[in-house]
Amino acid sequence: MSAAEKMSRRDEMETLLPFYLNGSLEGSDLEAIEEWLASDPAALAALGEAEAEFSGTSAANEAIRPPADALSRFAKALDAEAGPARKPASASWLAQAWGRFMAVPVGVAWATAAVLLGLMAVQSLVQPGGKGGNFEIAGTEEDLAKMPFALVKFKPDARMADIAVFLDANKLKIIGGPTADGVFKLAIPATTAADYDKARGLIAAQPFAETVIEGRKPADGG
Amino acid sequence: MTAAAETDRALVDRVAKGDRAAVRLLFMRHHARIYRFVARQTGSEMMADDIANEVFLELWRQAPGFEGRSEVSTWLLGIARFKALSLLRKKKEDWIDDEAAAAVPDSADTPEVVTMKEDKAAALRRLIDALPEEHRTVIDLAYYQGQSVTEIAQVLDIPVATVKTRMFYARKKLGEALKAAGYDRGWP
Repeated sequence: MSAAEKMSRRDEMETLLPFYLNGSLEGSDLEAIEEWLASDPAALAALGEAEAEFSGTSAANEAIRPPADALSRFAKALDAEAGPARKPASASWLAQAWGRFMAVPVGVAWATAAVLLGLMAVQSLVQPGGKGGNFEIAGTEEDLAKMPFALVKFKPDARMADIAVFLDANKLKIIGGPTADGVFKLAIPATTAADYDKARGLIAAQPFAETVIEGRKPADGG
Repeated sequence: MTAAAETDRALVDRVAKGDRAAVRLLFMRHHARIYRFVARQTGSEMMADDIANEVFLELWRQAPGFEGRSEVSTWLLGIARFKALSLLRKKKEDWIDDEAAAAVPDSADTPEVVTMKEDKAAALRRLIDALPEEHRTVIDLAYYQGQSVTEIAQVLDIPVATVKTRMFYARKKLGEALKAAGYDRGWP
């Protein structure tokens, strides 16, 4: 390799070094740099120089301090551009109430649960498919009335948020309750007795479940 | 997906649907870098303040048309670059010259003497700042903004080969200037 060719390759590698350092290099360019770094004693020194440039450039940029009130001024400009922020949707007060309720231990929240579930059920009739967060509360009354179900009592210190995640993940729905002694009615989307037993076992195994009682089981359950 | 892990693109989708919280999140993520980029481009923090704000208002307006062909950061830098150039073309007022004049140190030292008083890191930083704008910009975009060759080409609206050429000359000039200041780094 002639001196001119060698210099040309060095120039090319020096040009690519900043992109090697910022992690954006790929393909044949990345291979070429890595091969150069592994084979040329001058390459590591060159990498050190590029790192110093990296630090110097970062320091020069970071020395520029944006105004502390930039975000608040932008928010005002955005409001001026887009108009006043929209008011929350009409149902959101209920969603907010549900959200607050989810953070409360179940034992404290039974009475509230009864009220909210009642309201949710009413709302699901007004807004079919309505949801509380990720937690679907109810389908149509007719569908739910035919579904297999189990009666469940949760531990007093169980959190509604944990229960909601579990129910959502397993396509289970609260369709009734709580009774005076805190029992909920859970719809179970099982078509066979085996599926029903499996779901019931799964519920019973949860740390927040205190008691799970068999309710309506699919007909083949014998 | 948590809010913290939400990608820039997902946030732009939310902005496209009129979600103001999403545009504020993007502002918090990218404003400082956009501000610094414009400040370095224009040499004026006053212009940087105006333009950086405008960039995010533009994000609000253009989000429905964002097709995700580039990273959001690259897109925002491109908008910032365009707005900075437009404003610089429009404004040729004296205050820009005044700011530049005010930035010159009040010193009797020659540049060589100033350099001798500095350590290498400080000299390097000063020499980077002293690069011609087109060279300093590719240095900033690569080292500070983390942009690839292709992304810099998009931001500056120039061919990829030109990005490489500018980077080559930017680093070559830095090397020569460092050598003149007594710091030989072996290349060029």
